[in-house]
Amino acid sequence: MAEEAASAPAADAGTEAPPPGKMTMVAGVDDSDHSFYALQWALQHFFPPAPQPQQYRLVVVTAKPSAASAVGLAGPGAADVLPYVEADLKKTALRVIDKAKALCAQVSDAVFEAVEGDARNVLCEAVERHHAEMLVVGSHGYGAIKRAVLGSVSDYCAHHAHCTVMIVKKPKQHKH
Amino acid sequence: MAEEAASAPPPGKMTMVAGVDDSDHSFYALQWALQHFFPPGQPQQYRLVVVTAKPSAASAIGLAGPGAADVLPYVEADLKKTALRVIDKAKGLCAQVSDAVFEAVEGDARDVLCEAVERHHAEMLVVGSHGYGAIKRAVLGSVSDYCAHHAHCTVMIVKKPKQHKH
Repeated sequence: MAEEAASAPAADAGTEAPPPGKMTMVAGVDDSDHSFYALQWALQHFFPPAPQPQQYRLVVVTAKPSAASAVGLAGPGAADVLPYVEADLKKTALRVIDKAKALCAQVSDAVFEAVEGDARNVLCEAVERHHAEMLVVGSHGYGAIKRAVLGSVSDYCAHHAHCTVMIVKKPKQHKH
Repeated sequence: MAEEAASAPPPGKMTMVAGVDDSDHSFYALQWALQHFFPPGQPQQYRLVVVTAKPSAASAIGLAGPGAADVLPYVEADLKKTALRVIDKAKGLCAQVSDAVFEAVEGDARDVLCEAVERHHAEMLVVGSHGYGAIKRAVLGSVSDYCAHHAHCTVMIVKKPKQHKH
């Protein structure tokens, strides 16, 4: 059921109402180890392999930035580069989805989406769309300065998502 | 078995620290965690550690002025009473949890929670969120923000839904 955007596989169009009794969990993934660690952590803790019953419906979302935003300020020759950047971004997003699908093989109720836009908005909007109870994201573990400069998707989601946000950290074994 | 120092969790069980204070938001977060992770009747996979921070009287009053020394004992007694009330309320909520520990620790909430995570080797920290806007957050600080950045485990920020706003 790997359909793009919000195409409803079930009978009802528009809002996707989760089956009664099951809670929806959105997991945000990108091309980083941290986010796949977060996805694996969530699978370990919330989606135990059969025969235990799975109480959650998993929605794995990856954000595909638009080529224009990735390239930045346009300069001469930027227009030529755009198609290549676009193709590469699309390839990355599909690779992320495939990797996520492989990880989530034991999940009975899983949906995978690659949505175009900025990761912050994509994740919060996916939470709204799927009426999710939980959002799971990884954390790059940036220090305060990097975080201020680069921004932080997990921070934004922690403040703006309308549900519980779970920030999973990859333990830094090698540091003190 | 509320032993001090390094409390090693029994094998197979993960430890979850829940931070509570005297606010509705934090009790909503505790209830949410109980609902989702400590289902009644089913075997419980987690060990729950409920932690509340009791600020020191001196930090609560702020800059000392004339007469502050006289006020301190009353403030101290009141803070202690608040912390105990929070713990009692939490105990009442957590009646169905088979493996639960309750602690009131003196200090700033941010440090108390992160330190409790270390001490109990917790896998998860659950906190509520006041839902402050950016300005309030910058001025007052945010325990959930601090913990999200500094705790060495997964941090779960539970939000109380604002039903009455748009």
